[in-house]
Amino acid sequence: MKTILAFRESEYAWVHEKFPCVHPLLLPLCNKPFIEFLIDFAILAGSSAVRILCDGGLGEVERYCEDGSRWGIDLSYASIHPDDSIHAMLGKNRKFCGEERVMIVSGFSFIRYDKRYDYKSFASSMPPGEWSTCPGGRITLTGVPTKAVPDWLIADLSLMPLDSMTSYYQASMETLKTGESRYVLPGYGDEPECAFGRNVVISKSVEIRKPVSIGNNVQLLGNAIIGPSAIIGSNVIIDRESSVESSIVFDNTYIGEHLEIIGRIASGNRLNDPKSGASIAMEDPHLLSGIKKNRHLRSLPRKIVHACVALVMIAAFFIPFIILWPLLKLGGHWKSSPASFLSERTDETMPLAKVEVDASGAAAAIAVALSLDRYFRLFWVVTGQLALIGSTPLLAGESRPDAPAYVPAYLPGVFSYAEAEEWAATGGDATIVERFHLAHSNPLTDIGLVIKAFINRFQEKSTI
Amino acid sequence: MNFTLDNIDGRLVGTARLEGRLDAQNSKPFQKTFLEWLEKTPLLVFDCTLLDFIDTSGLGAIVGCLRKALENKGDLKLAGLNDKVGMVFEITKAKRLFSIFANQADAASSFASELNPGTT
Repeated sequence: MKTILAFRESEYAWVHEKFPCVHPLLLPLCNKPFIEFLIDFAILAGSSAVRILCDGGLGEVERYCEDGSRWGIDLSYASIHPDDSIHAMLGKNRKFCGEERVMIVSGFSFIRYDKRYDYKSFASSMPPGEWSTCPGGRITLTGVPTKAVPDWLIADLSLMPLDSMTSYYQASMETLKTGESRYVLPGYGDEPECAFGRNVVISKSVEIRKPVSIGNNVQLLGNAIIGPSAIIGSNVIIDRESSVESSIVFDNTYIGEHLEIIGRIASGNRLNDPKSGASIAMEDPHLLSGIKKNRHLRSLPRKIVHACVALVMIAAFFIPFIILWPLLKLGGHWKSSPASFLSERTDETMPLAKVEVDASGAAAAIAVALSLDRYFRLFWVVTGQLALIGSTPLLAGESRPDAPAYVPAYLPGVFSYAEAEEWAATGGDATIVERFHLAHSNPLTDIGLVIKAFINRFQEKSTI
Repeated sequence: MNFTLDNIDGRLVGTARLEGRLDAQNSKPFQKTFLEWLEKTPLLVFDCTLLDFIDTSGLGAIVGCLRKALENKGDLKLAGLNDKVGMVFEITKAKRLFSIFANQADAASSFASELNPGTT
């Protein structure tokens, strides 16, 4: 059997309006793209090939689904005219359909199926015609049955239109509650109704209330309460003391501290009320914001600005450095040892000296106050291998939850954002501050933060 | 923003009609204006029917107004929050701090019912 999945832009126009960052066919339902549920059902019904037809763009869907080999099927794509009937669609895809039985799923609707049922026998034995229908969606079978209808055959199946944010929210919550028993859902978990993705960092004091579904690269900070009925996407940060209940948090979203998200859909900096349809874009990034993914596109201007400021600092501190460094070194107050630190690219390391200055004398105190212990690192900024301000450089070979292999944002710097914000330079809080600034700062704010970090160190006169 | 005073069962209740946006740009002058209103009466209602947007600065300003009203042995009640503004109050838990009413009339008359608990 073969399956045709047919969609028209007019059916999912509301998705473009409410969730512009995601292609409607990739809209996540319980952390799984909508189209995957349909592909799963097509496979359950015995399809060996699936064709996605749409009168709108399918580029993003093609990039995600590719040729379908990950599901063990042949997946192809084609265009349709908005007014094409099922008959016209079949005619235009004659070659794909061949002589086989074809199941046509049309409309932007969610199929409530149950993976435990034998849809394959059902699809091959049903007479041609409508299998299931709902407003705006239908499943139709064409061609002659290949099997006789067995007496025992029952197949629980219904369609739910996804025509608004309300119905989308309902479908998501329903999927979360029925969970693994009906659908194939992503994530791992020892307990039912509790699915976690990869690299989920959960602070000890976090409370998880089932059912929950949590994506990949998620950080749940101290005293956060997740659930019941929370769907947290990938690359999400839920900051301290915040609670998320009966809500959906889309990928790449930051939820600030002390917030209470109940019955909402948070997508980037946008908070939606699925009941009323109200939607508000938060202007305060500490409250709710998107986590930008295209950091590499923004890295060039940042590198240029950082390099320029580093050159200024090299020139400004040259004389104090050239006087104090030999003095401290000869006096045994300046100790440096070679060490290998993780570079911005997770698979590479960089040799940076670990400098310790014993700030007992006046000269040493001045050197530390002027951050001369990091003078050599400024040259790495000029070459673009180190940021002037960023994450605290991590020693290579250490397995830590905040290592770049585990978190998506790591940019080693001479100064760290945590130092600018006067957070302890280690620990989960510092990591979250650094990740926040990596996502939200720009080259100009970086200059201000470098000055803050420098002043903070100057005031502390700490020994490193 | 306009401000009106009403006598409700012998209690002077002031109603400020908030309009447009309440954000970092106008929250400080708003707090200054509030002090003038507070001199007239400590029983106040913010009618938010025409308030389109609020950010954390605006929210902080309103919470500051509530604190000042309570310090003056009065109260500040909110009325007519639309869905968007209501969401900001909800997620920040600020909703728990305030008495919130569907409309200005209900909010203003609630001061009278506090004086006479038997009446509604």
